[in-house]
Parts: sequence; C-alpha cells; structure tokens
Amino acid sequence: MVTHSRQPSADDPRVLLDQEIGVFEPVPPYPPRTEREAEFYTLGDGEMFVNMGPQHPSTHGVLRIVLKLNGEQVVDLDPVLGYLHRGVEKICENSDYHHIVNQLDPLEYISSLFMEWPYVQAAEKLLDLEVPRRAEYIRVLSGELNRIASHALFMGWFALDLGGLTPILWSFIERDEIVEMLGALTGARMLFNYFRIGGVNGDLNHEFMSRLGSWMSRAATQIEANTKLLNENEIFVRRARGLGRMDREMALRMCVTGPNLRATGVPFDVRRAHPYSIYPELDFDVPTRTEGDSLARYLLRVDEVKQSLRIIDQCLHQMPDGPIMARIPRLIRPRPGRAYGAVESPRGQYTMYMISDGTDQPFRLRIHDPSFVHLGSVGRLVPGNLVADTMAIMASLDPVMGGVDK
Amino acid sequence: MDPAFKRRLETRFRGVLLGPVHQRHDETEIRVGPGDVSAVMRALHDEPTFRFEFLSDVCGVDTGVVMQVVYHLWSETTADWLRVIADGLSRDDPRVPSLTPLWPGAEWMEREAYDMFGITFEGNRDLRRIYMPPDYMAFPLRKDFYLPDDAARSPGAGVRHVEQSHAPVNADPSVTVRTARGA
Repeated sequence: MVTHSRQPSADDPRVLLDQEIGVFEPVPPYPPRTEREAEFYTLGDGEMFVNMGPQHPSTHGVLRIVLKLNGEQVVDLDPVLGYLHRGVEKICENSDYHHIVNQLDPLEYISSLFMEWPYVQAAEKLLDLEVPRRAEYIRVLSGELNRIASHALFMGWFALDLGGLTPILWSFIERDEIVEMLGALTGARMLFNYFRIGGVNGDLNHEFMSRLGSWMSRAATQIEANTKLLNENEIFVRRARGLGRMDREMALRMCVTGPNLRATGVPFDVRRAHPYSIYPELDFDVPTRTEGDSLARYLLRVDEVKQSLRIIDQCLHQMPDGPIMARIPRLIRPRPGRAYGAVESPRGQYTMYMISDGTDQPFRLRIHDPSFVHLGSVGRLVPGNLVADTMAIMASLDPVMGGVDK
Repeated sequence: MDPAFKRRLETRFRGVLLGPVHQRHDETEIRVGPGDVSAVMRALHDEPTFRFEFLSDVCGVDTGVVMQVVYHLWSETTADWLRVIADGLSRDDPRVPSLTPLWPGAEWMEREAYDMFGITFEGNRDLRRIYMPPDYMAFPLRKDFYLPDDAARSPGAGVRHVEQSHAPVNADPSVTVRTARGA
C-alpha cells in the first residue's frame, strides 16, 4: 500500500505491520519543494516529528498532521491533505445542472443542505429565476434544523476531544431526532439531495410536521439541559478557556468565517451581511463574543442554536401556501455568464462560483469550503500548546473533512 | 446592484481596468491584468472608501484560451459582492502575485489553484501541491485534462499515484486479486 524509501531487513518484526496497515514516515522521501517545507522538515535541537493520522480517531475524517514536537509541546505542524480528494469540481464540470446537487452532498456530510444551497442559489442567479416563497421558507426551515443538528454534534465532539465521553451520547439524541425528522421530509437522513434549482424536492408532510411539533415543544429545555452538562463543568471550562486564541485581526487575515469569526467579535453573518432567501424578513440576532478562544467558539454555537430555534418558530408561523417549485425545464441551459452564491452554514460561509457557457453543464464550478480555510489557520493556533490540545483546538474550529478535500 | 459603487470603482481604477465594470444581480465584476493585482487589492483593502476586509474566495479558472484567477471580496461599504478577475494569464506559464501579504489565509487557496491549474503565485512561500501526490505531473482542472474515460488524450495519462493500492486495470488478473496482505 505504501512506498518506502527505507529498506527493512527480513527479520524486522515491523515488516508485517508495514505491509498490512501501512506506516507513514513523517519525513517525505523527496527533497523539499518550498522554503516552508524545508524549514518545517529541519529538526532543531531536542525536537522530533510525530505523525498523526490519516486514520486517527479525532481528526474528524481522513487527515494527516505531522507534528514537530519539543517534549510535549507542539513547535510547528504541517497538515497533509488529499486523502479524500475525489475531484468533485471536475466531476461537476462534466455533469448536468440537475445532477450536481447529488454530487455536492457528500462534501458536507454533517449538514448537507448548506452545500446544496449556494449551488442552487448560483444557478438561480444565472437563470434569473424567481423561487416560490413557500420553497424559500422550507429551505430556511430545513436549513436551520440542519444547523442545530450540526451544532449539537459539534458540542459532543468537542467535549470528546477534551476527554469527556458523556456529552456526545447526549448530543446524539438531539441530532438523531433532527435527522429522522429531515429524513421524513427529504427521504434521506444525511445526504439529503433535497434542494432543487427553482425550489425544493418535496412539500412538508405529516410525519415531518408531527415530529417537528413534538420536538419543538421540548427542544429549548433539552438543549439547555445538554449544554448545562458542559457550561458549568469546571474541568471543561478551565481546559477550553484561552485555548487556541484568535484575535479579530488574525481571523480577518486568515479569511476565517462563521462562528469562528464571530467568536472574535466580528458580527459577520452572511444571513445579515449579505441577505439571501427570506432572512431579511426574519427576526433573529447574530450573537458575537470577544474572547476568540475555544470556549468562546463553543458558547457562541450554543447561542446560535437558540437563534435557530427562534427562526424555526417564525418559519412555522409565517409559512405561506403555494407551489414549492418554479417552472424550469428538464434540461437547463443558462445563458453564458457568471454567478456567485454564498450562504451561512454552521461552519462558515459556503460559496460557489459558477460559470456557464450556454451548455447543459457548467463550464466551471468553484466550491469554497470554510473548513478548508479554517484548517489552514490551525498551523497558527496550535504551536505553543500541548499535543493533547492540538485536537481540541482543531475540534473547536469544527472542520468537516469531506469538504476540505473535495 | 450598486451603481454608486460602480462609479467609485471606475473613478479610482481608471486606466487599470480591462473593460467596463460589469454588474448583475448582487455582484460587481472588474477585470485587471495580472501585473496590477497587488496594487488593486491593496487599494481595495486599505482605502477607507472601499475597506474590503473579507477575502471570500480565491480560485483559478481555465477558459481554454487563457487562465484567470478570480477573487471574491466583501465589504460593508457596498451591498454587492466584488469579483476581481485577474485576466489574461498565459496558459504555458500562468503567473500572478500572491495575496498572502494581505491575507495569509489565501495561502491554502492559492496552493489549491496551483495544484489544480498550475498557476504560480509569486510570493507564496509554501506553493506546493495540496491535494494531489507530490510526484503528480498534471493539473486536473485544466480544460485539456480529460476524465479517465478518455484519458489517452490527457497529459495525466499513465501517471500513477504514489499510494495507489490497486494494480492497473490491464494487469494480469492474478495480480489484482486482493489478499489479506494487500494486492
């Protein structure tokens, strides 16, 4: 499976191990390609390399990180990507407009709707399409549910990476309720394939509404109970406070978006900063915090869940009647042009840049994933911390590897 | 659309823009030559009338004739997305200055554009492949790179991954049978 420059002797007990599961040498078997690579792979006094991943339980996917350590302290790190790279952008250039929604889902397997949304938004801009209001309400409703499911999972994961096992079991209760609900609405629990160019795939049904109704009646108290487990946990709070601190200036320069940016005090939320869909009509706040550390990123997500509940409540009360799909042809051929779609996802700003050349396939579809950008800032947040904090800081940024590697 | 913003751009960047400022829906688009990218971006970032603090996206585009690097920016001074297209990069040796002095976060996005299109970002100190293996020769998102069903026409034909775990399709069938110890 793996090529090695090292030639082990036949009686080396590690030979069998190498062949069966693959052992990664931290230092690459080729000369450095850039000055940064040369600098990283030169060991200073008392330093050593430790390889983490690609199959490591807390990397949230298939990610390899080469750590340069001095004792237990991380001096520098080099994330190695590409283990999940499938060339989705290339595949999208070779699929027709309707098929692409399906290709995009697995990129964001925690909250798939937010990967479909910028795509349909960009395509609707290219087509100058008016989306029925009911469809927009359903999009917002299902999107906010998905946001809560994603944040619930984040809280569990983050605690797990800090060494607490209980919260993830609790947060999966919440998440499971929501994915079952979305399953009733869209037909799939995780990879929804629900948004369509011009609307959504199916109208609200009885099972979804009854599940949503019973969940909404106790959601607020239940989420409160779950978060109490962590918010008032001294070990958790003392561990997460001050960990991986990012200030406003650094967050802006590192192109960080979403909750990670708002935790540094910048009230940038695409839903307000660049309104789309029906968000201008809805009443909700954009919570911010100023500390910019891991604890702030966690607490900010808790606040966002409360705002999402408010939005869902308003959607249910204001939901208009009407069609859920605009009239669009089976074969879409937008006029040549360029369009940019951007939405606020639980992770940050998902954007897509689409170029049409007048055929039934996009000429170019650029997928921008915030997880990718956030992972790029890990190299600045982690150095100086302990090895055990590496994963905690990474988890507090909440990346999803499906979108990082595309 | 924000016509006032369009006028501001036209006045400030007269002589630099290639072609007129283009506006559609909530997007404003300008085109500049690769040599002007640094100056234009710094002006957009620093000047109080623009204040584009958010770099939303950096991506490469291969039109089949020329290469482009496309930047999307956001500012609270306008309701539009600003799209800056660095146009007219040669396909043989596309070069454009790096944005990492202004936005260090652009480093990985530029690495990705390098990996997929072979665009060299001058000044990016870590410009190496990010997705594809280090010995990979081709640039997959270029328009002359075909998907594997007609890979014979592609510059990527015959190039194998370092960590390929399966034998090539035309190998002897006995080789492709996977055992507990691997292929």
